[in-house]
Amino acid sequence: MATTEYDVRGADFLAEECAGLADSLRRVTVEVSGFGSGGGSGVIWHPAGLIITNAHVAPRTRGVVELWDGQTFDALVIRRSFERDLAAVWIEAPNLTAAPVRDSTTVRVGELAFAVGAPLGMPGTLTAGIIHSVGRVHPRARREWVQADVTLLPGNSGGPLADARGYVVGINSMIAGPLALAVPSSDVLRFLSGLIVEPVTPPKNEAA
Amino acid sequence: MLLPDLSNALADAVERAGASTVSVYGRDRLPSSGVHWRPGVVITADHALERDEEISIAHPDRAGRIPAALAGRDPTTDLAVLRVDPLSLPVAEGREIDSVKVGHLVLAVGRPGEAGMSASLGVMSAVGPAWTTWRGGKVDRFLRADLDLYDGFSGGPLVDTQGRVIGINTSGLSRRFDLTIPRSTVNRVADQLLASGRISRGYLGVGMQPVRISDQLVSALNLAGNGGVIVISVEPGQPAERAGILMGDVLVELDGARVSDPEDVIAQLSSDRIGAKITARVIRAGRPADVQLVVGERPAHWE
Repeated sequence: MATTEYDVRGADFLAEECAGLADSLRRVTVEVSGFGSGGGSGVIWHPAGLIITNAHVAPRTRGVVELWDGQTFDALVIRRSFERDLAAVWIEAPNLTAAPVRDSTTVRVGELAFAVGAPLGMPGTLTAGIIHSVGRVHPRARREWVQADVTLLPGNSGGPLADARGYVVGINSMIAGPLALAVPSSDVLRFLSGLIVEPVTPPKNEAA
Repeated sequence: MLLPDLSNALADAVERAGASTVSVYGRDRLPSSGVHWRPGVVITADHALERDEEISIAHPDRAGRIPAALAGRDPTTDLAVLRVDPLSLPVAEGREIDSVKVGHLVLAVGRPGEAGMSASLGVMSAVGPAWTTWRGGKVDRFLRADLDLYDGFSGGPLVDTQGRVIGINTSGLSRRFDLTIPRSTVNRVADQLLASGRISRGYLGVGMQPVRISDQLVSALNLAGNGGVIVISVEPGQPAERAGILMGDVLVELDGARVSDPEDVIAQLSSDRIGAKITARVIRAGRPADVQLVVGERPAHWE
């Protein structure tokens, strides 16, 4: 009887790698709540306590951030742009593990893309797809997006869109039919420029 | 690290396919996609080409819009062929369909506008035998991928993980799902359209409408199903008239195949049937009658 041998190990390794990637992404993804919205997700951007999320997830100044291990922290918005839909949130938790970030201008169409968030209250949910396009949706559009054919649900907002190595290339912000629209990481860097996050001192309105 | 390798391979495939994928400006809204198929020949989806003139194509490697002339359309396979001045763009590389299996990773690539190239990933979900579209087009393989064809993707390529073209994607052949016209069918249609500007089609010269046959007749004539096609007009000098088909005849069988809808009749009239003698079973005045017909060729003005 003729038999065909298939090498399934490749697929097994791939599945293992996916699981590993999901795990490391979950550790840099937080749940954001209490900012006067339905809540959402966020990305640990800097080990000194800087979280990036969407402005529409954190429209008010004070709220709560929950880490992947269940620790919760009072959180404060220290910079926000509704125009770009980004918010920088500070928590008093030094020595966090920050997400590795990749310059979104180097992202190519067709690359694998992964999203982690808390859609429908299920934290750590992973969805996968590919980069659909990078840049403006229309030639005359003002904003740029990283678009991926990754399933997003409300609650994914503010969470990471990452590449095949787990590097964050964007912040998931909008659902356009079957597509995920993420704020490019290059925009996040521009949004954060000039912001200095001190490991110990929380920012205050008046310096003493 | 397999995941980054796979990711890079997919991006490479998109880049390779994108080199020969163009935007096609042939309608008022968002452009559709097309493939540089042979030197100076671009294939696109017929349904997305809403005009016959003032068509142009674009590719980021070439400045501006490049005028294109319509060589011909084949609505039956939803393909259209454009002629352009020799492009300094590569011609799409093909993939042998026989080696494509259900489960293979595939990508749809599109260029719906100047914003750049877009892609969609999925697996081959059906690789079936030859089939006939509802418009009577013969397609060599039934190809369907479980990926989203976004707006403007019709006319673009379905490619393998190396960027080689399996076929042309279209959302215009089925309301229920997107399909891919295999490369071999595209080649055949392109050959015919480039040679004569049209696809020849079989022709009977009748106007038709579906009708329901009474249960009494269905059981008396031992028919499968109660659908039939009533002849509502007979064109003078055409095969049906010459064979003696009359207005009011109800077609129930063509060449042994049950017909219960005008589409069933059209499906029997592909170009390879021109000149063939076929038997039509009709119900005339409540009785079955067999009529011998010679399939004609659809006149050019009919398109």
